[in-house]
Amino acid sequence: MTAAPPPGDGQVGLVIDGREVRVPKGTLLLDAASEVGIHIPIYCAHPKMDPVAVCRMCLVQVEKLPKLQPACATVVSEGMVVDTQSDATAKAREGMLEFLLLNHPLDCPVCDRGGECDLQDFAFRYGPDTSRFPITEKVHFDKAVPLSDKIELDQERCILCWRCVRYYDEITGEKEIVLQQRGVHTAVATFDGQPLRSDYQGNLPEICPVGALTHRQYRFKARPWDLIRTKGVCPECSYGCNVFVDSRDFEVKRFASRDNPMVDDMWLCDRGRYSATSWNSTSRLRRPLVRDAAGGVRDVGVADAVKEAARRLLAVSERGGGEVIGVLGSPDCTNEEAWLLQRLAREVLRTPHIDHQLAEMLRLGPAEHALGIAEIESCTAVVVLGPEPEVNAPVLTLRLHKAATKRGVAVHRVAANAEPRDITARVGDARLVGVVADETNRARAAAVASALAGGGTAVKRMTVTRGGNGRGVKDMGLLPDLAPGYRPAVPAGMGGRAILESATSGSIQALLLLHAGGVLAGLGALVESALRIAKVVVVIDTKPGVLADAATVLIPGHSLMEKQGSVTNLEGRVQRIRAALPPATSVPSELRVLSMLAGALGAEGWGSGDLMEVHRALAADVPAYAAAGNGGRARWEVAAA
Amino acid sequence: MAEYKLLTQHIGADGLQTRAGYERLGGYQGLREVFRRFTPEQFIEQVKLSGLRGRGGAGFPTGTKWSFLPKDVFPRYLCCNADESEPACFKDRYLIDENPHQLIEGVLIAAYALQVHHAFIYIRGEYHDQRLLLERCVEEAGGAGYIGRNILGSGFDCEVIVHGGAGAYICGEETALIDSLEGYRGQPRLKPPFPALKGLYGKPTVVNNVETLSNLPHIVLRGGDWFKGIGTERSTGTRVWCVSGHIERPGCYEMENGRPIRELLEEEAGGVWQGRRLKAFQPGGGSMQVLLPEHLDLPLDMDAVMKAGSSLGAGAMMFMDETTCMVNVSMRLVDFYHHESCGKCVPCREGTYFESDLMHRLEAGTCKPEELATLSDICDNMNGKCFCPLGDTATWFVMSAYQAFREEFEAHCGAGGCPVRGGARTAALVGAS
Amino acid sequence: MFKEIAKGMAFTLKQMLSKPITLQWPEEQKPSPPRHRGRHILHRYDNGLEKCIGCELCAAACPVGCIYVGSAENDPAHPVSPGERYAERYEINLMRCIYCGYCAEACPTEAITLGPRYELADYRRERLVATKEDLLEAWPGFEKSLADNPRGAGADQREQAGRAPGVSPRVAWEDREGAVGQAGRGSPAAGQEGLAPHVPTVATPPKRNPG
Repeated sequence: MTAAPPPGDGQVGLVIDGREVRVPKGTLLLDAASEVGIHIPIYCAHPKMDPVAVCRMCLVQVEKLPKLQPACATVVSEGMVVDTQSDATAKAREGMLEFLLLNHPLDCPVCDRGGECDLQDFAFRYGPDTSRFPITEKVHFDKAVPLSDKIELDQERCILCWRCVRYYDEITGEKEIVLQQRGVHTAVATFDGQPLRSDYQGNLPEICPVGALTHRQYRFKARPWDLIRTKGVCPECSYGCNVFVDSRDFEVKRFASRDNPMVDDMWLCDRGRYSATSWNSTSRLRRPLVRDAAGGVRDVGVADAVKEAARRLLAVSERGGGEVIGVLGSPDCTNEEAWLLQRLAREVLRTPHIDHQLAEMLRLGPAEHALGIAEIESCTAVVVLGPEPEVNAPVLTLRLHKAATKRGVAVHRVAANAEPRDITARVGDARLVGVVADETNRARAAAVASALAGGGTAVKRMTVTRGGNGRGVKDMGLLPDLAPGYRPAVPAGMGGRAILESATSGSIQALLLLHAGGVLAGLGALVESALRIAKVVVVIDTKPGVLADAATVLIPGHSLMEKQGSVTNLEGRVQRIRAALPPATSVPSELRVLSMLAGALGAEGWGSGDLMEVHRALAADVPAYAAAGNGGRARWEVAAA
Repeated sequence: MAEYKLLTQHIGADGLQTRAGYERLGGYQGLREVFRRFTPEQFIEQVKLSGLRGRGGAGFPTGTKWSFLPKDVFPRYLCCNADESEPACFKDRYLIDENPHQLIEGVLIAAYALQVHHAFIYIRGEYHDQRLLLERCVEEAGGAGYIGRNILGSGFDCEVIVHGGAGAYICGEETALIDSLEGYRGQPRLKPPFPALKGLYGKPTVVNNVETLSNLPHIVLRGGDWFKGIGTERSTGTRVWCVSGHIERPGCYEMENGRPIRELLEEEAGGVWQGRRLKAFQPGGGSMQVLLPEHLDLPLDMDAVMKAGSSLGAGAMMFMDETTCMVNVSMRLVDFYHHESCGKCVPCREGTYFESDLMHRLEAGTCKPEELATLSDICDNMNGKCFCPLGDTATWFVMSAYQAFREEFEAHCGAGGCPVRGGARTAALVGAS
Repeated sequence: MFKEIAKGMAFTLKQMLSKPITLQWPEEQKPSPPRHRGRHILHRYDNGLEKCIGCELCAAACPVGCIYVGSAENDPAHPVSPGERYAERYEINLMRCIYCGYCAEACPTEAITLGPRYELADYRRERLVATKEDLLEAWPGFEKSLADNPRGAGADQREQAGRAPGVSPRVAWEDREGAVGQAGRGSPAAGQEGLAPHVPTVATPPKRNPG
């Protein structure tokens, strides 16, 4: 073997399979090996959890040590010479796999994990050809035990890697899964057979290396090789967890986690994960409609629908000017749609009345989301105002737990109406304090932040926005008082609620609603009367409902699973989404429809509404987004400098 | 060897199980003297000097173990390991039954040396009577001011807590003991960090055997130098040997380290019973490798026995006469490990099950000859690859017996029954402990 | 010259008198050789449970991708197959199939085999996508099974290990196949013929082309 490299500061040099590698002190052998692309099979080790070294799959030979060492728990040392391919290592792996398969049932064909199972893969790659153990002697356990309405446990398939137990100990801190009995009769179970109550159960099947824990939702829905995997972003809240959208037969079968250490740290919440199948709803708008004054409905092509919408909008604005038109988007719009919509409103329709929700959000600023998700771990203390932030962005809880337990961050969960004074006293001396609040508690959060900053502490705020792209549509200027990039809009217009009220009183005569079904749902009388009284209601949306029923021009839209674009999460991270399903309608994308509408309204130079074209124009308008690229955070300080 | 009976010297005396009886025979003098003669550091030096090695099985030098505790990290904890579960081992029960205050005195002396204010005696669940006895003795000692605040006016505080296990062999492993003591499943923890750095409740912890601690009052009173003079150079002092199996007088016998094993067998235990010849013996409890009659002249010395391919372990000698079937003994021992495996790591959990299944078929005579190679292969796949020594030791006896009595194992293959015992069952050897 | 004509005529006359080798298909059917790889058959156990467990290994092994399987979970009270999983939909696009038999080879439960049937022509393409009802074999052992096991079909598969005497399901299928062949395939009831009314079948969703 070659000599190890000389010792350096904080770095340790070692040789793995003849390859020299330098890694920081304290690195585990397993990570050092993956650094140089050497694969070591693991079951119990997990990148997000502390090692336990129980599966003994990762045993490797280390020179000068008599026994094989578990790579997952061995810290590298200077001059270590490791052989992961030696005969002893290979024999140990083969032996472990024979042991693991001893009592493992032969039900791969019916196992949901079959095809993406570590036990299958490693047995194929490292395992023995046959078992020497008589098949009649296998120990049997209960199969298909429901642990909750979401998770199914097959105790027979369990290889007792402890990942689920440690997940509940370390990641969520809820400690819901225990081991029962001992020796070969050990089984995973819940205490006293109680159902799991966690909001993060959906991660269990993913960390399970075999098919012991499976999703009830995904049970027998597909084999892994059937699935078409699309990179996406969970649209359920503004946290922006990265997911794989796995679809089969034009239906979303599941959301699988796509580890982004800066955002989700590979954990998803159940609300987001199990929302996957809601995108398969067949209750969708499919064809454009035009309703005449008498209430007669005409089926038209999209070109005619757009022309009719333009004609009617022009008709009202010719009489009353642009100000009689109200424009509402929603957090269900992509950034590109939001940007194009505000441009249409401000440049073509010439109306200042534009918003994306009903609650008034005036004088927003980038300081409200200066704190990044991963930055929570480097704070000294974090103040969380009320339960809303964690209710509206559940994965935040796991990040706070990690910060508190692994990074020693003091997490203070205080009432939403707590006095800033008391909070300052509670936080005490701190280097950097994060203040986390829901967007309904903006004012209180600002007061807390300034009280803390008044004491000389550095403070960064995080605001949990409502809706999937709540941050992005604000950045894009779907606000009455702010244009894209938080530039003041001149003149400032009316907010969402005021638009609807004006429509009821008649001063707003036309409404252009883009994906507004979600924000306007459940508002009852106000929305109904506004829709009834407004002369022109142009609706672009995906689902039937009050809006579709009242629309004078209805144009079907694409759902978030059916389109491309970018969305921004609550910390300002711009992330790309891709189409996982074909559109349910033959109508082109909203971007094209909006561009066609602009053209029909007489605007010049709007192009065809091609995604990249719109995105380039957007990036030119908002430099922070140009700098963020795909997956980076939009940094407004940088943009301002 | 009367002059070297230390731990058992007063055993049999009237009222030794009471504080008064123990005090009458010089009890608790060691505790009084340790406060007077030594600072904690000085006493650790004395223990180092004495060469006292752990009596629990591994034989690690006690003084060295103590000196691993990081300075200035408090609180620290002391655990007395009375979870004696090794097959054929019963010396701790004997010492507790006969002289419980000696152990409590030892615990307090160690607590003083380590500056521990909470000492635990972790006693196995099956030792229920002994647990009650210890609890009574602790109460008695507390009443006399040996336990509690400002012990004997020294300014040193210490509480002693007797904790009963739930009957798991694995809890004799120090980290599993700590887990169990904390209220978790008794399963070994990942080392490092060793208990000396992060043990009970995440604090520095020392775990010592009952016999180890019972030696301390004598080291206080007579000095480490004197203790070093007994036994051999690397195995100092005496040990309480548990002698069992096919012998005339089974029981616990204290004997100086370094005497030949033959002396223990023939003089103390009265030789092999019924005038039969010795076939084999196990020198250190159920875990250790088998030795043959030619090894009888080995000295009772850890290193010498180690060189012969076995270990003195916890000092449990099990002798087997010529009628014994080695396959049967192996099967019984493997069953023990299969039953006691905690299930944490794969090779132990699954390997002991595989081993046990194979041994049962071998004993029943339905095993194919080529499966003997499987047996040694799975033992090889377990040995040295398990999380803790339980899984490793589950293979030691079987493998050594297979090597020493190969023909006997081979004769079992396909024999349809045990060819050695001819179907007649001899005394249940392993169950005897 | 004359001699040659006579020779030729003699040969002709001889052939006229001999039995013709032409088979009067479709009135007459030619038996297939035992290992003929014709249209697929989905088999059942003697107690009526389907052998197919919906594992999709046939679909994975298929070199042309002509098999579609959609599986679902068995209702323990009325199982379709032994175990937890069964094929809710099973479709083979017979126009695409190359009859290579890899599906049968991949099958872990010997649920699918290639049968004797070769008359596969039809006037409509969609009828050439064979569904589960088309492929599933009938179950003649039902009455017998019910007598053996009053708890009902498939209460415990292992108890049914001893095969019921009499006609094997396979032979029965082949008999029926002949009958169907003569009646002409394509009538909606063809696939259901011979199925006892209480066989545990599943309500199959509307037929769709394989996605």
